Parts: sequence; structure tokens; C-alpha cells
Amino acid sequence: MLALEVSHINKTFRTKKGETVIANDDVTVKIEAGKIYGLLGPNGAGKSTLISMISGIMTPTSGSISVFGVDALTRTVEAKKMMGIVPQEIVTELAFTVDEILHYMGGMYGVPLAERKDRIGEVLRDLDLEDKRYERARSLSGGMKRRLMVAKALMHKPKFLILDEPTSGVDVALRQKIWELVRRMNKEGATILFTTHYLEEAEQLCDEMTFIHHGRVIKQGKLSDIQKEFSENVVAFELYKPNVPHLPGVHKEGTEFHYPVTHLDQDMSAVIKHYGENLRSIKSAAASLENIFLKLTAN
Amino acid sequence: MTAITYMWALYAREVKRFQKLWLDTVATPIMSTVLYLTIFGVIAGGRAVSGTTYSAFVYAGLLGMMMVNSSFSNPTFALILSKNVGTIIDIQLAPIAPWRVGIAYALAGFTRGVYTVVIASLLTIWFIPGISIQHPLTFLIALLLTGLEFGMLGVIFGLIMKNFESLTLVMTFVMQPMIFLAGVFYPISTLPAPWNTLSQLNPLHHNINLLRYGMIGYTDISPLISLGVIVGISLILFTIMNQVASKSLKQ
Repeated sequence: MLALEVSHINKTFRTKKGETVIANDDVTVKIEAGKIYGLLGPNGAGKSTLISMISGIMTPTSGSISVFGVDALTRTVEAKKMMGIVPQEIVTELAFTVDEILHYMGGMYGVPLAERKDRIGEVLRDLDLEDKRYERARSLSGGMKRRLMVAKALMHKPKFLILDEPTSGVDVALRQKIWELVRRMNKEGATILFTTHYLEEAEQLCDEMTFIHHGRVIKQGKLSDIQKEFSENVVAFELYKPNVPHLPGVHKEGTEFHYPVTHLDQDMSAVIKHYGENLRSIKSAAASLENIFLKLTAN
Repeated sequence: MTAITYMWALYAREVKRFQKLWLDTVATPIMSTVLYLTIFGVIAGGRAVSGTTYSAFVYAGLLGMMMVNSSFSNPTFALILSKNVGTIIDIQLAPIAPWRVGIAYALAGFTRGVYTVVIASLLTIWFIPGISIQHPLTFLIALLLTGLEFGMLGVIFGLIMKNFESLTLVMTFVMQPMIFLAGVFYPISTLPAPWNTLSQLNPLHHNINLLRYGMIGYTDISPLISLGVIVGISLILFTIMNQVASKSLKQ
């Protein structure tokens, strides 16, 4: 089943000078339920605009969006009930405590009053914010406010969690904490969509991904498939004794030897058979996501 | 869980907000009323207006003015503040239809109006000799409709206005003239033309008239006409509020 189906979405804005700006150009994204999906692209690529349209706070110029089969453009309220959204910008209620914010947020997403107290406890425990429960939100540190933003989105145990740059500007420990939480939510059945420009994050978490650049989809698919497509097409290996007869085409790159690949499995077997116990290490030189990204956005 | 439950949480949050800021939201309007009463009591203490004392006449008008001000300013301030600090995103993302968002804010405004009117009455009614509520049902209906009407007007301005400076302009150039031409401090029949006619066209006059009729039995024009005008204007405001909310709660 598809958790999200975005079909041929276009979004154009008109500036004050009367110029037309294309924020999203014929974007199509399909996310299977239960996946962790990454939406990647540089700043200003159109990721947040797409997220705003999926979450129902912006209307596309054309195209359609459905969440678990519910048309998010016509049955917005129903679609919103299934989603938990962590916006990019940290915003904090000035008057309320953490407990009050989560209490009312739970109510606005239909968490029954009798369950709300326990649910607040669970969410705060998951995010290491238990001891801040009765403190005013405005007195929290930046990292804690970021965690509170995540807590708000988790109150109603959404089937579909959207995180817009969730780790932007957070320290390493908190980033790990958020990754851990995303994985756990996913294991518990939630589909996750997140945007990031940290490619390491996408590599760590995503099953599948879409690259957006200048509002257009420039690549999408499984991480392994994309890496295969952009791999440097070599088997890289190290030898204990380098001065031996080599396979035709083998050349030296630093401490490694590179062998051009046409069929990865067969060619790797050929290297293993030829060098035998002389092999110190062997790997296929897959392209890093960073290199793929640079290649994709080069033009 | 029904849609009303979702809306109720938003309403409860907005009620909690003004309760937390009670010094600004409840105590300040009560203080203003006490000052008005003291001044008008001293200036025109012994005068009578069509069989009722002037202090009772002004008192009913002041309670109406307090209801209008509180129910208008509660959603306006809350919405402008949430736009300025960015927390409006919570409302934009919540699974609550725009018109329900508007009604939740308007009801919270009405609730604040009732709080201030009840507390002010308990504190000050002892200074108005012989006053009692003549038509309790009419008074309650007038309170409810006035609170909702000006709550919805507050939602509309709160969603449209970008900052507090714009709100000050609205308060000075729209609300204040409406209040002063609504017959809060005097019977509008005593005004010369064209102010008399202008006052009758002022929608707020009908709210004050109905509230005053419910409280002390005095009326400038038929209470039924006032009721009809209030209901009609409330329906128009609801339609406008729904449209403004649908548009403003999108980016």
C-alpha cells in the first residue's frame, strides 16, 4: 500500500515584481507504507514547498496528493489526522509549559483525555525531556525545543511522520537520538518522510530517496540502486605482495589496485580466483551519496 | 473522537491562555470599568434616564462594552501573537477545519467576555442601588450572541492583521468610534442629527440595546429588531470568518 502518492505536482508563485517562480515542477513521489524515505536537495530546491503541500498548508497549482489513499487536497482534515509533522523552524508557545503544550496538541489530534497524561510521559521519556515536563517551553535550550517539536508531532502516534530538516543545527548526540527515534517509529509501523541536506543522514536512514533540484526530481529510487548506477565500476583490492602478475586492465591507485567491472559478481570472483590468499582486502568501489549528489547537481 | 472534540482542545487552550495572563486579560478591563463608573457616578450621580437611574443606565452599557472589548481582543491578540512567534503553524497543521478554528477562537473570546463581566459585576454591582436583571433570558442570549459576534470579528481581524500596530489602528478607527456611537454612555435619542441616525446604523448599538434591555429593561428601539440585526450580522461575520480562515491558514 502506498503511504504517500504525489502525482505531477506543480507549484508556481508570482513575485511582487510579477515574475513567475517555479517551486515544484512536475514532481511525482510514491512512498510505500513502512518505508523511511528521504527527500534530498540543496537549500531552495523546493523540498519544504513540497512538504507544505503534502501537509495541507499550501495548495498546489496542479497535480494530486493522497495519503494512505485519502485525497489530501479535498479531504484535508482526514489526511492531516494520519500525519505528524515536524516543521523546519523551531517555534515555541510563550505562555505554556511543556506538559500543557503536549496536552492541548494531543487534544487537537484526537488523543482521548484519559490517555493524554500517559502519552505525554511516554513521548517525553523517548526524547529525554521528562525532567522538563512542567517547565515553561520558552526556557528550554535550542536542542530541547527541537525535541519538543518532535514530541508534538508524535503525540497521536501518526501513521505517517514527516520531518522537515529535523537535525538542522543540532549537536551530534541529539542527531543520533533523533535517528534512533526515527528507526524505532519505523519499526513500530510508521512511514517516515524526511528532508535533509545532510547526505550522511540519508545514507544512514533511508530505504529510498528522491533528489530534488531547482524544483524538479532529478533522481529517485533505492539507495543501493542509485549507488550501483553511479558506482565507479571498479573492484578495489589490496595485496600482501603487490609484485605479482596482474589480470589484464588492473591498475594501481595509491595503496589499492582497481579492476574495471562489467559484471560485478563475476569480476569479483575472477579477482578472488586470480589473487587467492594474496588478497588483503576487496570491495566494490561504490560511489558515496555525496559524489552522486555532486554529479547530479553539477549542471 | 468527533470533530468537536478536536475543536474543544483548541478552545480549551485559548481559554487557558487568557487565564494565565489574567492580569492583562481580565483585571485590566475590570479596572477600566470601575474607573468609568466612578467618573460617571460622580458627574451624573443623581440624574435619571426614562425612569431608570443614570448610573444603572451607564452600568449596563459598560458591561456590554466590556463584553465587546474582551471577546474582540482575545482572538485578535492570540492570533497576531501566534503569527509573530510562528506558532500559527500548529493551527495550520492540525486536523481542524478552518471554520472550526475560527469558532474555537471566537468561543474563547466569548468565555473571556463572560469571565470579565461576571467578575466585574460581582465587584461593582453593590455600588448601583436597586439594580437587578429584568429579563434574565434576554440578557443571557444577548451576552452569548455579542460574545460570539465580536469574537468572530476578532478572529477576522486577527487573521488579516500582520502586527499589533495594525491592530491599534483598527481599535482607534473602527472599534472606538463604534463604541462611542453605540449609546453606551447616553440614550441615542438625545443625540442631534446626523449622529442619531448614524448610531442607529451602528451594529454595536443593537448589542448594547439588547444587553441593556435584558439587564434594566430600558430600550432605545425594539429588542426584537436588535436581536434580528445581531443574528444577521453574526451570520455575515461567520461567512466572512470562514473565508478568511480558509485563506489565511494556508501559506
